[in-house]
Amino acid sequence: MNARRKKIRINAWAKFFGAMLLGTLSLPAFGQNPRLDIKNLEALAKKASEVVDVNLDGSLLKLASKFMTDEDDQEALDVIKNLKGVYVKSFTFEKPGDYSPADVDAIRSQLQAPAWSRIVSARSKHDGENAEIYLMTAADGGKVLGMAIICAEPTEFTVVNIVGPVDIDKLSQLEGKMGIPRLGEQDNEPSQKPEGHRAKP
Amino acid sequence: MNPWEESLREALRRKAAPEGFTDRVLARIRELPGREKRPWFQFRAFIARPALRWAAAVLFLAIASSVAFREQQERQRRQGEIARMQVKQALRIASVKLNAARRMVQEVNPGTAQSRL
Repeated sequence: MNARRKKIRINAWAKFFGAMLLGTLSLPAFGQNPRLDIKNLEALAKKASEVVDVNLDGSLLKLASKFMTDEDDQEALDVIKNLKGVYVKSFTFEKPGDYSPADVDAIRSQLQAPAWSRIVSARSKHDGENAEIYLMTAADGGKVLGMAIICAEPTEFTVVNIVGPVDIDKLSQLEGKMGIPRLGEQDNEPSQKPEGHRAKP
Repeated sequence: MNPWEESLREALRRKAAPEGFTDRVLARIRELPGREKRPWFQFRAFIARPALRWAAAVLFLAIASSVAFREQQERQRRQGEIARMQVKQALRIASVKLNAARRMVQEVNPGTAQSRL
C-alpha cells in the first residue's frame, strides 16, 4: 500500500517537472517579450548632443489617456488605448561614428524569429540611413503584440518600442497631425526630427 | 554723621504698619476680578470643553485631509500632463520614423529594400 502511494507521488512529481521542462523549452519560441531591453543604450546619452527618452508603461499610458481630452488628442488616444507600453530612445550626435553598430546589434539581437518578424528593412547608401520595422504577432499570426522601429542614421539613432496591439495605419496617420509636419511638406526644415521635450545630457 | 546719612537712616528706619493695614490690603485683593474671570482663563475654560475639543479635532482632520487630497490630485494632474506630453512626443517620433521607413522603401533602390507593409 505504501509502495503504491510512493509510486503515485513520484508520478505526480514527474508530471510536474515534465510540465516545467516543457514550459521552459517552449519559452524561446513563444515567450519572447514584446518589450525590448533598451537600457544598454543609456550609455550613449553621454556622447549624444540631444537625447529623447520616453518610458511609458501601462499605468502611465492610462494616466495620460485621462488627460488627453483635447480634440487634437483623440487620434493619439485611439492609438494608445490598448497599449501596454511605449518606449522611445532617440539620440542625436555631433558627428558620425559616435555610436557603434554594436549598439544597433544589441537591439536587433532581441528581435528574433519566430516571435518577431521584420516587415520593413530599408537602407539608403546615399544618406547612410537604415530603417527597420519589426512586428511581434500572436502565434496565430493575427493580433499584433508589439512593434519595434530602429532608425540608424550617421548622426542619429532612434529606437521605438511599442508594447501591445498597435494599429500601424493609425500610427502612421498621426504624421501631419498633433503638430507633426509631414516630411514632404517640410523639405526646407533643417532637421526631420519632430519637436518635443529633449533632454540635454 | 553727615546730614545725608542721617536722612537715609531715618528713611530706612523700621516702622510698624499703620493700624488696619493688613485688613485693607486683603479687602482690596478680594475686590480684584477673580482669576477665573480674566479673559485668558475664560478662553481656556471655553476651549477645555470636551465637545469643542472634538469639534476642533474633526475640523483639523477635515482640513488636513482636504489639503492632502488636493495635493494628491495636483500631483496626479502634473504626472498626467507630463505623461500626456510624453505620449504625444513618443507617437510623434514613432509616426515620423515609421513613415520615413515607408518612404525609404518607396524611394530607395528596390534592391536594397524589402517591405511587407
